[in-house]
Amino acid sequence: MKEVFFVVEFGIEFVPRDLYWKTTFYAIQAEKIGFEYLWITDHFNNRNVYVSLAIASAYTERIKFGPGVTNPYLVHPGVTAQAVATLNEIAPGRVVCGLGAGDKTTLQMLNLEQRKPLRTIRESVEIIRGITSGKTLEMQGKIFNVAGAKLNFKIANPIPIFIGAQGPKMLELAGEIGDGVLINASHPKDVENAMTFIGRGIEKAGKELNDLNISAYTSFSVASSYDKASKAVVPVVAYIVAGSPEIILERHEIRAEVANKIREAIVHRRWKEAFSPVNTEMVEAFSICGTPETCVDKIHRLLKAGVNQIVAGSPIGPNMRKSINMIAAEVFPHFKEVIGEKRT
Amino acid sequence: MALERIARKIPASLWNVASEKLIDLVLNSPNASKMPSDLAKTILYYWQRDQLATEIGLYRILEASMILEPEKTISLMEELGLPAIVVMLKETL
Repeated sequence: MKEVFFVVEFGIEFVPRDLYWKTTFYAIQAEKIGFEYLWITDHFNNRNVYVSLAIASAYTERIKFGPGVTNPYLVHPGVTAQAVATLNEIAPGRVVCGLGAGDKTTLQMLNLEQRKPLRTIRESVEIIRGITSGKTLEMQGKIFNVAGAKLNFKIANPIPIFIGAQGPKMLELAGEIGDGVLINASHPKDVENAMTFIGRGIEKAGKELNDLNISAYTSFSVASSYDKASKAVVPVVAYIVAGSPEIILERHEIRAEVANKIREAIVHRRWKEAFSPVNTEMVEAFSICGTPETCVDKIHRLLKAGVNQIVAGSPIGPNMRKSINMIAAEVFPHFKEVIGEKRT
Repeated sequence: MALERIARKIPASLWNVASEKLIDLVLNSPNASKMPSDLAKTILYYWQRDQLATEIGLYRILEASMILEPEKTISLMEELGLPAIVVMLKETL
């Protein structure tokens, strides 16, 4: 891959478990301190992603925002196209669409199966892109058939589609058809590995690396001490360990039986049993966690691995407001100098 | 209206610190669901415009904290050395 230059961007993820006004308060704060992207997760059992985004968009002026990520099993891509197009009317040019195969545990609660994820995502991107382009869409797919779908309103600009990916084939697909990739990873080893597959997709599509916004979608926790940050991130790491494929667990020398035990405990809501096996190695493998100084170092390593957006995902820290302020005061200033660094 | 009058009596030199501490009280309150939606939207309006540490912004955030955490709000005013405010807030309960 040839050498190119890049600019670092930062995104922040909120899980709308909180009351709408709290999420919006933090969204305003995130915009004020200079985050470029706001991602809100989409799980049926939390508050609705598009309602949350619509409110956040009304109280912000610059930050780009979108579902991070929605999935085509729960929401038909035609409806996703309609939702992001409507948001784009509220905040023209600021909307992005994060799309992935969804969270298996949450989908299972609604008896939804993640069938043929690669084909489903490929066709979903075609539908969302087709409909939001304003054209009448005809498509005979293996998963979806679309017969003359067209919005009854105009959309002023294309909406970039970011694909959430972790496995090799999904990463390759994301490189091939996405406008951006949201790599589910916090560790440079995982990002380096992901870049190989994304690169294959880019080549397949005849694109350039710079055509793509490549983001590390991390689990992030910053606090005044490692212990405080770690305590906040443990539950999130437990979920990540429980949901990670064996190949990724092996990469981080985590035994599959430990992951299975955590998964089993989560399913049965035995939280102490789920969280107590999470050790420092797991926290290091699956999160950016620690003091601002530690987080800065970890972010540098991810940037060197090839990403150009860092998404600070849940939990952000033990105290959301303080942690966001800490990012502003002690993390962001270190990355001005990164602008122009070589990405190979 | 009573709270608006009380908020006006907070010295301008304390607006920043009072606002910061009241915001923390409100955001971290276990009673956050008691926040009236209209008041929440008003606070977001002032937050977006950096006006939570002004007379009007402070009044709204004080109103919220008195709904969510009245006792902690009164303790905070004591900590800030505002006994007259403490008396007035107690009278609103």
